[in-house]
Amino acid sequence: MLAFVRKNQVPLSSCFCLLLSIYILTAAARGQLKNEPLGALLMWIMRPLQIASESAVNWVKNFRDNYDTLAGFKSENERLRKRIQTLEVERQRLLEAEATNRQLKALLDFRTRLPAGAITASIIANSANSWFQSCMIDKGSSDGVRKGMAVVTPLGVVGQIVGVTPHAAKVLLLTDPNSGIDVLVQRTRSRGIVSGSLDSGTILKYVKRSEDIQEGDRLITSGIDGIFPKGMMVGTVIKVRKQHIGLFQFIEVLPAVQTARIENVLIVAGDGAGKS
Amino acid sequence: MRLFLLFFLVGILLILLQTTLLHLLPIGPIIPDLTLVLCVYLGLYHPTVGAALGSFLIGYSIDVVSSPSRMVGLNAFAMSLVFLLVYFGSRSIWLQNPLVSSIVVLFAALVKSAALVLISAFFVSLEGFWIGATWYIIQEALAAAVLAPVVFGLLRVGENYAARFRAAGQ
Repeated sequence: MLAFVRKNQVPLSSCFCLLLSIYILTAAARGQLKNEPLGALLMWIMRPLQIASESAVNWVKNFRDNYDTLAGFKSENERLRKRIQTLEVERQRLLEAEATNRQLKALLDFRTRLPAGAITASIIANSANSWFQSCMIDKGSSDGVRKGMAVVTPLGVVGQIVGVTPHAAKVLLLTDPNSGIDVLVQRTRSRGIVSGSLDSGTILKYVKRSEDIQEGDRLITSGIDGIFPKGMMVGTVIKVRKQHIGLFQFIEVLPAVQTARIENVLIVAGDGAGKS
Repeated sequence: MRLFLLFFLVGILLILLQTTLLHLLPIGPIIPDLTLVLCVYLGLYHPTVGAALGSFLIGYSIDVVSSPSRMVGLNAFAMSLVFLLVYFGSRSIWLQNPLVSSIVVLFAALVKSAALVLISAFFVSLEGFWIGATWYIIQEALAAAVLAPVVFGLLRVGENYAARFRAAGQ
């Protein structure tokens, strides 16, 4: 008997466990399984472990939830970034339109103060090198532009037309060494010629040493050259130098119009325009 | 005895996994029955009285933590049954291939599920229980079968560590 038990101890113990299970099941089904110590012991062992494990699981869950939230934020962020880019482009376009509108309005207002027949044009190209200060405009002979016409803005003189094609024209800017604009010093009414120079920027030439010229004096067109209407702003004196010898003063001028920044201009026919 | 303790602790760990972490797996309501894999492992490689008691205890622990109070003992019965059947089967099964372990676990899972359903039906009348349970049983058995080679591998590694630890102690 003992040998049989020893030989079959594993299946016998399993059978014992099966019977014990059935006994427990029966007792549980009848509601008689209360305060049984094994279950309490197992619960006692499992409880802290389950709490720790559940904490770990909650941490993982929170981490995953946070990750999902962050992933959501990321996609939302990308969407908003694209939206911002689109709006920024739109804003730039509107700002540009507003600036252009403002310029054109100022030009229109200014046009009413000019002789009749002023032509509005846009600058389409600048000089290809630094030796010559010129630009191209989008109006030509077919629009009524003729060689010798004055090019101005509400701020002042820009230059004059030196070349015309049917649909474009070349403007020689007042900052070019080859240009020459007859001007008056507004304060003293002294006369001179404003021209560009390669080394000293824009200068006022042919002003006698005896003339009283001061820094800050405003220069306006005299109208005598027959190209520019009288009284248009040309620039401001920024430096006066009287040399020991020579007939004239050396005067540096800051042009009223920063030619590099202008976009729209008016072409005006002076008294002598087209005659030369 | 040490091995019994080791497997008991592993069993507790697997129950903890089943009751917590494995619920995070994105496989719907299916929880891979790792404790069943442990019982099969015990039946195959450690057919001792301690292992039989261990299987019972694992099943009973599951009952304690998850079975309704009037059905305590259900998992203890199922696990003991699985252990016994695997013990008898182990004499004619040569386990060298992970696929074979998967198949054994698959059958064990089906046996366990069948036992659970039958005993439930015997003690508690549940109309239509079989219909809903069938698909669930198959999925759970498949999940256990898929994980069986991994769990077997981990258990072997743990055993080797324990053996080395014991050898170092001696």
